[in-house]
Amino acid sequence: MNTAIKIVVTLVVGTLLGLALTWFFVIRSPFAGGASDGPWRTNLLIGSSGGDMATRASVAVHGLFALNRSETIYYSAASDSDGNKLKGNCTYLLSGRDPPTRWWSITAYGADDYLIPNPGKHYSVSKNSVQRGADGTFEATLSRAAAARNWIALGNGRFSLTLRLYNPAPQVAKDPGHVALPTIRKVACT
Amino acid sequence: MKAREWGLWIALTLLVAAAVHLATVWYLPHAIMRVALSRMGAMNAIHFQNRPDEHSRGVVRPSPDLLYSACPFDLSKGPLRVRAPVPNDTYWSVSAFDADTDNFFARNDRQADGVVDFLIVDPSYRGPIEGLKAISSPSKRGLVLFRVLIDDEKDLAAIDDLRRQAQCSTFRPAAGDLSNRGGR
Repeated sequence: MNTAIKIVVTLVVGTLLGLALTWFFVIRSPFAGGASDGPWRTNLLIGSSGGDMATRASVAVHGLFALNRSETIYYSAASDSDGNKLKGNCTYLLSGRDPPTRWWSITAYGADDYLIPNPGKHYSVSKNSVQRGADGTFEATLSRAAAARNWIALGNGRFSLTLRLYNPAPQVAKDPGHVALPTIRKVACT
Repeated sequence: MKAREWGLWIALTLLVAAAVHLATVWYLPHAIMRVALSRMGAMNAIHFQNRPDEHSRGVVRPSPDLLYSACPFDLSKGPLRVRAPVPNDTYWSVSAFDADTDNFFARNDRQADGVVDFLIVDPSYRGPIEGLKAISSPSKRGLVLFRVLIDDEKDLAAIDDLRRQAQCSTFRPAAGDLSNRGGR
């Protein structure tokens, strides 16, 4: 092989490998790094200029225009409490109690990071809309088939959840891994 | 090829890969911001976005429980003036993002007393500010974003009316003050 060919191969393979690294670590995996509470992951550097280059790129791809941690803390979940990937053909039960924050919501997004189409616009449950039991806890159903109450509609394929805490209590930023966020249990798959 | 020579070319390939990876990670936020700004409409004007639903494709992972109003800005023709009434007891915030997507400013309803009125300025701006609070933007281009929570579905119309009173425009200092602009 002559040197010119070697240089071309080096450049082409190197470029492809570099793009693959970016795709794998930034574009494919949301919010790499940070803390986790059960299946919920967060990165407190979201929205701050102190965020490193990789965090900033990850947020730009998966959570553009996110606010900083004093305003909002965002958690996301791409797997259930047993660590299995969230899939639209399964039914999940989300159970817990109100997190320590002024306002919260849990929203489902498709693999394309947009809201999942459904005629009744059942995209989320929130502090104001969720129906609670007598003991203050709530259960929400994530499924394609309609549920009687606290229903978040799913579509085909993978999905993920975002939990937003607006004006969270200071303890959340101090210890984001121990907030006792809702659990996500798989009930059945079709 | 000898083993030593193989090693050299593999090392060079990895070096190219690392450089491409770092360059794309560094450039990605700029590129995404450029696309997002170009999709939002005219600069230095406010755009009241529809309530997010499955057809909202402008920005990833929008919240269907919030109403967003966006104001893409370009400070090359002067500061941006932002004015808005603030709701009483509903989560509301105004935030600003630079060309790198960093969030450099945020105020919520609890930190504002019924109304906000401020300027976003380029750090080199030396003109009059007429007593307004001036917030320095790390870049000439960026975005001001308002969020307001839909507390209760039955309040939607009232919340929407209130958020539509917000204004964003290029700041025009009162006449006679123009001698101050720039160059000092």
